[in-house]
Amino acid sequence: MSSENQISFTDIPDAIASASGTDRSVSMTVDSELYPLQAVYGASYIFIDRCYVFIDRPAPGSYRITLSAKQSVEEAEALRQLVGEFANELLSCTWRHQVTQDNRVAIETVTVQAIAGAMGEPSLDDLADFDFTDEALDDPLGIAQSWEEKHGRPSPDAKAKTASEPGADEAKADAEEASA
Amino acid sequence: MKPINLAEIKPRPGTQAFFRWRQIGDDAILITNLEGNWLILTVEEFTQFARGESTPDSPLHERLLDKNFLRSNYDVQAASERVKARKYFVHGGPLLHVMVVTLRCNETCVYCHASRANMDEVDTDMSIETARKAVDLALSSTNGFITIEFQGGEPLVNFPVVKEIIEYATERNKEIQKRLEFTMVSNFALLTEEKLQYLLANKVQLCTSIDGPEELHNAQRKLPVSHNAFQAAAGWIKRVNEAYIEIGLDPTLYHVEALLTTTKATLGKWKEVVDTYVGLGCKTIFLRPVDPFGFAERARLRLEYPRGEYLEFYRKSVDYMIELNKQGVEILERYAAIFLTKMLRGEDPNFLDNRNPAGAGIGQLAYSYDGKVYSCDEGRMLAATQDQTFCLGDVDTPYRKIVGHETIRAMVIATNLDQQPDCVNCAYNPYCGTNAAYNYKAQGSVFGRMRDNNVCAVHKGIQDYLFEKLAENDPEVMAIFERWTTIRPREHFVQDPGQTPALEAAEAEV
Repeated sequence: MSSENQISFTDIPDAIASASGTDRSVSMTVDSELYPLQAVYGASYIFIDRCYVFIDRPAPGSYRITLSAKQSVEEAEALRQLVGEFANELLSCTWRHQVTQDNRVAIETVTVQAIAGAMGEPSLDDLADFDFTDEALDDPLGIAQSWEEKHGRPSPDAKAKTASEPGADEAKADAEEASA
Repeated sequence: MKPINLAEIKPRPGTQAFFRWRQIGDDAILITNLEGNWLILTVEEFTQFARGESTPDSPLHERLLDKNFLRSNYDVQAASERVKARKYFVHGGPLLHVMVVTLRCNETCVYCHASRANMDEVDTDMSIETARKAVDLALSSTNGFITIEFQGGEPLVNFPVVKEIIEYATERNKEIQKRLEFTMVSNFALLTEEKLQYLLANKVQLCTSIDGPEELHNAQRKLPVSHNAFQAAAGWIKRVNEAYIEIGLDPTLYHVEALLTTTKATLGKWKEVVDTYVGLGCKTIFLRPVDPFGFAERARLRLEYPRGEYLEFYRKSVDYMIELNKQGVEILERYAAIFLTKMLRGEDPNFLDNRNPAGAGIGQLAYSYDGKVYSCDEGRMLAATQDQTFCLGDVDTPYRKIVGHETIRAMVIATNLDQQPDCVNCAYNPYCGTNAAYNYKAQGSVFGRMRDNNVCAVHKGIQDYLFEKLAENDPEVMAIFERWTTIRPREHFVQDPGQTPALEAAEAEV
């Protein structure tokens, strides 16, 4: 952004928004503690028909959103309008994010009832097409494995059994030494 | 209106159960609760209530108790029963099936939401094969009530396909046994006595569009040759109403209703609009604002207006309609009837664009002439302007994939007012609804932003007006509102599942 073409908004603090007439773009910096990332994504997304949208983190604790208009927007007022619209949408998304968390159970219950009610019971044809394989349970990262399985350690049961056997204390000491 | 001062009232938790509130007059505060009970309190009463200080045995305490506003006596069972009654539609499945049998139209409307095609564009006609598949899909719905609504373009332009849908659906319904109805939205200009007899014999409910007085109607709806779209519609309204009487139907219940699209030019003509409708024998006016779909978007500078001006128009129109009712003229406003039914009866009339969640996909589906299936009428309107966001598949797509589509899930969530900033705290939450396709078009996301959303402004403004009227508690007005919320079923239009389509007989006679 070239500084000589920098546009100032008299009613928006420079630290929050800056604009360039040449690049027909505006950049806004927002506090990541005030605005969750999901809200930043949500608000940014609705501008993609009008703007190219770039999101980055210029510093820890802040997001910077740059809206670069696809079509010529050089007047300061038009750029200010983009900033204002984005700010309002961001607030709306942030509050929705909070409200959705608060009312999650009610929202999910209604949605499930509505969709299930409209879909009805699956027919035999639907069931014939249903994928009953356990592919969805494939676990290449071993997330579903127990800690003992994943790291080759004896399970608590096996440990208890080993502890009751002669020489168990020596084996435990060897293991601790090895891990140290 | 002088706003109340919450700093002076100093609200604090006390005896109140959950409530929302809105000031509707200098000395009138509306409170509503989760299940949609409401009370209008004076500022003094509201102050007591908000401070949690209602004194047992006081008249206020009795009123609060009666409407379930008190924490200590909160009747969970009663509340859940009322919520259940209000939300009966949630699991019902699609009942309205909009079939766009052609995009061709003989009229050109300045605001055409459907983006009509010229009369020679026959490639925008639905084929018989597509029509049959659309009927199969519609009858696959889990809902026991099915309404097939013929739309366009002008549906009479592709009358053979209209007939095919009626005959095929009626035949298939013999086996499926749903409560099946047909409705047609037409400008009537292409209606003939032969077509009318066919539609009457097959119990198709007819509806048309009237934009107000003749001059305004003809300025907005161009009909070639005669150049008088109003007379074409008015003449057939009269004839259809006569025909209903001829076949022995009660004219107070069975008559043609019309739809209004309010443009900038309509706003100053509120009295003429109402008088025109009354003069045509209509008993209902639906004061719908113009929507930003189709041609209306291109012509918005000519057609659009601030919603504050619309609400002034609305108030004047309905005030006048109330005065006419007091003089014995039977005329109601549809928006008012929808909201009042929820407010006064605790029931939902299931108007799909104004319920929570809205009906897109779970209450209606729209079938375009080319076989594509959309979540709602507005979805297919957007598709006509090259936006397929709300396309769910086509008539070959299995039913469960259509209604289980992720777009439907998103729309159900987006129109659930419990996730909507503003709506979660709004006193009108129990009676209101939002439209995801409108939000998407007007504000870029299915969620929208209610604070600067035109549909929200209209809904809030109308409910303000209605609650102001309820606060006045004029017995004559209350009696009129009571009538407006009385649902009189029109059983004649329900198809008898055992009947043979009347078309062959009608055709033989012609």
